[in-house]
Amino acid sequence: MFNLKYKDDFYKLILSVFIFGIILIFLTVVAVMLYYSYPAIIRYGLPFLWTKEWNPPKEIFGAATFIAGTFMVTFLALIFAVPLSLGIGIFLEEYCPAFLRGFFTIIIEILAGIPSVVFGVWGVLTIVPWLRDSIEPFFEKHFSYIPFLKVEENIGYGILAASFVVTFMILPIIASITKDSLASVPKIIKDGAFATGATKLDVIRDVSLPHAYKGIYGGIVLGFGRAVGETIAVVLLIGNQAVIPKSLFGVGYTISAVLANTFTFAVISHIYASSEVELALILLLVSLIINLLGRNVLKRVIGGKFSRSQFGGG
Amino acid sequence: MADNNGTIKNDIKIEVKNLNFYYGNYNLLKNINLFFKKNSVCTIIGPSGCGKSTFLRTLNRMNDYTEDTKLTGEVLIDGKNIYNRSVDVVELRRNIGMVFQTPNPFPKSIFDNVAFGLKIHGIKNKEFIAERVEKCLKYAALFDEVKDTLYKPAFSLSGGQQQRLCIARAIATNPSVLLMDEPTAYLDPMSTGIILDLITSFKKYYTVVVVSHNIQQAARVADYSGFFLSGELIEFDNAGDFFTRPKDKRTENYITSRF
Ligand SMILES: Nc1ncnc2c1ncn2[C@@H]1O[C@H](COP(=O)(O)OP(=O)(O)OP(=O)(O)O)[C@@H](O)[C@H]1O
Ligand SMILES: [Mg+2]
Repeated sequence: MFNLKYKDDFYKLILSVFIFGIILIFLTVVAVMLYYSYPAIIRYGLPFLWTKEWNPPKEIFGAATFIAGTFMVTFLALIFAVPLSLGIGIFLEEYCPAFLRGFFTIIIEILAGIPSVVFGVWGVLTIVPWLRDSIEPFFEKHFSYIPFLKVEENIGYGILAASFVVTFMILPIIASITKDSLASVPKIIKDGAFATGATKLDVIRDVSLPHAYKGIYGGIVLGFGRAVGETIAVVLLIGNQAVIPKSLFGVGYTISAVLANTFTFAVISHIYASSEVELALILLLVSLIINLLGRNVLKRVIGGKFSRSQFGGG
Repeated sequence: MADNNGTIKNDIKIEVKNLNFYYGNYNLLKNINLFFKKNSVCTIIGPSGCGKSTFLRTLNRMNDYTEDTKLTGEVLIDGKNIYNRSVDVVELRRNIGMVFQTPNPFPKSIFDNVAFGLKIHGIKNKEFIAERVEKCLKYAALFDEVKDTLYKPAFSLSGGQQQRLCIARAIATNPSVLLMDEPTAYLDPMSTGIILDLITSFKKYYTVVVVSHNIQQAARVADYSGFFLSGELIEFDNAGDFFTRPKDKRTENYITSRF
């Protein structure tokens, strides 16, 4: 008894040390970012967020173009990825024959584990030529009067190319969480619905999705977090121009991409480096908020499965 | 209604003929023959794993979704084989309510749980739905307890209340058959008593088939009773004879060991 108790306490102590260590590392990161970005925060203030110019020689620094690029890529990738991955998740869990389900699940897990640079290279080799040779000419011919779809330079690179590749990167995350959330719906509840005469579609729409939506939502938020921070694939595809994209086919820049490309020589001036660190800080805060939101939701779902007494009574 | 031989069997609701059911190669239900009379309560008893649930689920084709299963023989409801190709399973299940061993409300409000069956069967008239929900909750002896919380999540109810909610849900589509798989298995004695009374009152409207582990409970509600052992129907008789003068030694052993 006593031994057990001490053992318990010992594990608790070790765990606490680790958790404390992790929190310390995290706080150090935030502190360092704050410290180094402080000069830029003081000098440019809030207008840093909406200034469009990024001109190191003149020491004019504004994040607007990068923020715009980041959000456009993230937003588009989610628009493409969410319906697709919900479809894939629903198909895998509810319609796919059992002998294929394992196979597809493995493929999705492999996809989720592919390094982003590989996705980026793949995008340069396939998405870019496809956009340049088929999609952009088509839109130029038929939709050039819609400003948002105007093709300015027919090069394939740009917001759309980056969004497509990011779509493929977050697709497996959202799809597999959707599948797992649907799998966690108790069979007996679905049986209850079938027994009233519900079709498979009724059951998915009225029972499984409402039961699983919190988990799915958590998956979407995790996908969002990944998309916001995605760097190397975007660097390879977005065109890397500090402009606010006027069209889906326009080139742009994201926070992570500009950091990856320029941080090594930003040291040439103190305020240049400081501004770049401020960019990193913005990214850190955004992804932090998003991830906390997503994880909280996931935790509530997983916790809810055990705490909610849906079979109470006996 | 006339059966295949032309005999008039007006009072037969469900007739099971030469029913065999297989999980993979394993022949679980072996050549079951029996019938359930209209407006009667029939209980199915037997040891765990003997196939009671599987049998009950053959009566509304719930086994259709279980992979790698096979069924031979016939289940006639109102004289029509429900395994005929032409049978509309959705309509079949509208006509057969089912209540499960564990309460299984949907992640919806109390009201929407009961209205679920109506909505999926295409009923849109709000007043009709509201009336029917109230009526079914009353039949299930739950209305007084939930009338002020109809729009709260069904999960907020106690286990016994959830089970009565599931009963209300099962009868909402106005079925003529009600299948219940150990509906009191996880309930306290109070809730169990309420549900047993409900079952007795239900035979006015429905043909009720109840699976039960508990001989006392089965004897209390049954008009007819059947004893399953390892997938075989050992004995099927009216409740009076079945529980007091069973013909088969195995039935007698099971009943006496359980009393
Ligand atoms: N999906 C399935 N696949 C294979 N075997 C199954 C399946 N479902 C049930 N069985 C087997 O069929 C047998 C009968 O199961 P069933 O659930 O019908 O028994 P039961 O009489 O209802 O038991 P209990 O009283 O414990 O509920 C069991 O041996 C069980 O292992
Ligand atoms: Mg059972």
